[in-house]
Amino acid sequence: MITVNHLTKHFPGRVAVDNISFEVGHREVVGFLGPNGSGKTTTLRILCGYLAASAGTAKVAGFDVQRFPMEVRRRIGYLPEQCPLYPDMRVDEYLHFRAALKGVPARRRRGRVDEVKELCGLAENGRRIIGQLSKGYRQRVGLAEALVHEPDLLILDEPTIGLDPNQIRQVRQLIQQLGERHTILLSTHILPEVEAICRRVIIIKDGRIVASDSTDQLIRHMKGEARIVFEVQGPRDRIEAELGTWPDIHRMEIETLGEWHRFRLACPRSADPRARLFSQAAASGWSVRELHLEPGSLEELFVSLTAPASSGGAP
Amino acid sequence: MNGFLVLLRKELNGYFLSPVAYATSTFFLAVMGVIFHLLASILAEGVPGVGVMNLLFNSPFYWMTMLVVIPLLTMRLFAEERRMGTLEHLLTAPVTDRAVVAAKFGGVFIFYLLMWMPTLLFLLGLHLYSADRVPLDPGAVAAGYLGVLLSGGFFLAWGLLCSLTTANQIIAAIICFAGMILCFMAGFLDVISYHPVAVTFSELFAPHRNLAEFSRGIVDSRPVVAYVSGTVLLLFASTRMLEARQWK
Repeated sequence: MITVNHLTKHFPGRVAVDNISFEVGHREVVGFLGPNGSGKTTTLRILCGYLAASAGTAKVAGFDVQRFPMEVRRRIGYLPEQCPLYPDMRVDEYLHFRAALKGVPARRRRGRVDEVKELCGLAENGRRIIGQLSKGYRQRVGLAEALVHEPDLLILDEPTIGLDPNQIRQVRQLIQQLGERHTILLSTHILPEVEAICRRVIIIKDGRIVASDSTDQLIRHMKGEARIVFEVQGPRDRIEAELGTWPDIHRMEIETLGEWHRFRLACPRSADPRARLFSQAAASGWSVRELHLEPGSLEELFVSLTAPASSGGAP
Repeated sequence: MNGFLVLLRKELNGYFLSPVAYATSTFFLAVMGVIFHLLASILAEGVPGVGVMNLLFNSPFYWMTMLVVIPLLTMRLFAEERRMGTLEHLLTAPVTDRAVVAAKFGGVFIFYLLMWMPTLLFLLGLHLYSADRVPLDPGAVAAGYLGVLLSGGFFLAWGLLCSLTTANQIIAAIICFAGMILCFMAGFLDVISYHPVAVTFSELFAPHRNLAEFSRGIVDSRPVVAYVSGTVLLLFASTRMLEARQWK
């Protein structure tokens, strides 16, 4: 659906997007992540034809965004950051206007507007003035607008920013639903959102892609330490002394909960001492009630890939 | 074409919902009413050799009103969209930059013409109710309104360009106003210099003089060409400025 090849964008005095290439397949839901100022919005703006690339090409549904901007725009539903709307228009009026602008034929317009209103939970709000809507409802209007011409591709730039937790949940569910019928490129830095919605992520830092793979794969191959949780009943000092001699275990934190001790062990990702831990416990007569490897989160991955070098976050 | 019509309708609707537009046209009609009142009193005294249209269009009141009305009407065109962030949304819809500029201009121009409409009633009133039938030359009426249309189009296009330069409506209005003032001052160059270039320049570019000619029923092709080509040039420049966002 999207093919980006060596895309570069210079702004006076800086390179916003630096030679990036990626692809997004049909009906894929892809998270586009990166810290603020990493070039996410610039890339999305190039895809939508708002900005022109300095070098490289981008294609949407086979159409070059520079040479066939109208073909591309017809196929994209774009929700820009901050969800800009005309505050003095009514919801219906706005959706009809945008539907007409996007070339939805007059006879189908009413039907389409009703459909997207229903989908986005706006069915009762058609007569309301946009300026008087809450942020959550405005976001829904933005989404409804992006969907009104049945685009193949949805580009959403931070769709849940500034919403309360309930609204975030609703918008997230809606996006999940839409993922069944549309290709979605979702830019955000709210990571649980991506973990919940996207099957694949592209992480961008300083205008360059630093990771692009399925969420699970990326976390699995994450560099750095893994954490093992080991909850055991037995003499704390002896257990601590025993584990302290294991070369695999770099650090441990111990928390005592009544008779139980909860060990959080940091060890290299390549080593997995869980089996040995269990044998040791069995041999020493300690009771075990929990032993698991913490899977690592996208957040850790994100930080490890995008933290500034000076903070020492990158392994 | 479709995008243009949709946008044009939205622009016009916007004017009819905007308090600024109502305030501006009320102000405009109030001033025109005063001018008409003065005109009626002059005619009532029977001063010989004064043309009705000349009184209507060649008064300093008229030009001072235009200096206020044009910036007020055009300042919001792009500045407001830019401030609200809707410009990006508009320019990523399947509509060309040219259509956007044309629709914005079309909207403000039609509103400007509608604003002028009621002044035709002044003339109708004069024609119907004056005791000894004031000589209303249909040629002068048509030419006078043609002048209003041409100069209005030109200055509205200038205002539209100004509105593109900033996200602040007040600044857009000030730039527009300053440009119009400069244009008028250029028309008075011959007051301070008798140099032939200055004289020719002010004869050709003085909006007040052009309109005085038009209101006498004289349609000189030079100002017609100047206004039309000036308008087209300004709109072309606006389209280019809008496109330039891509390369910034």
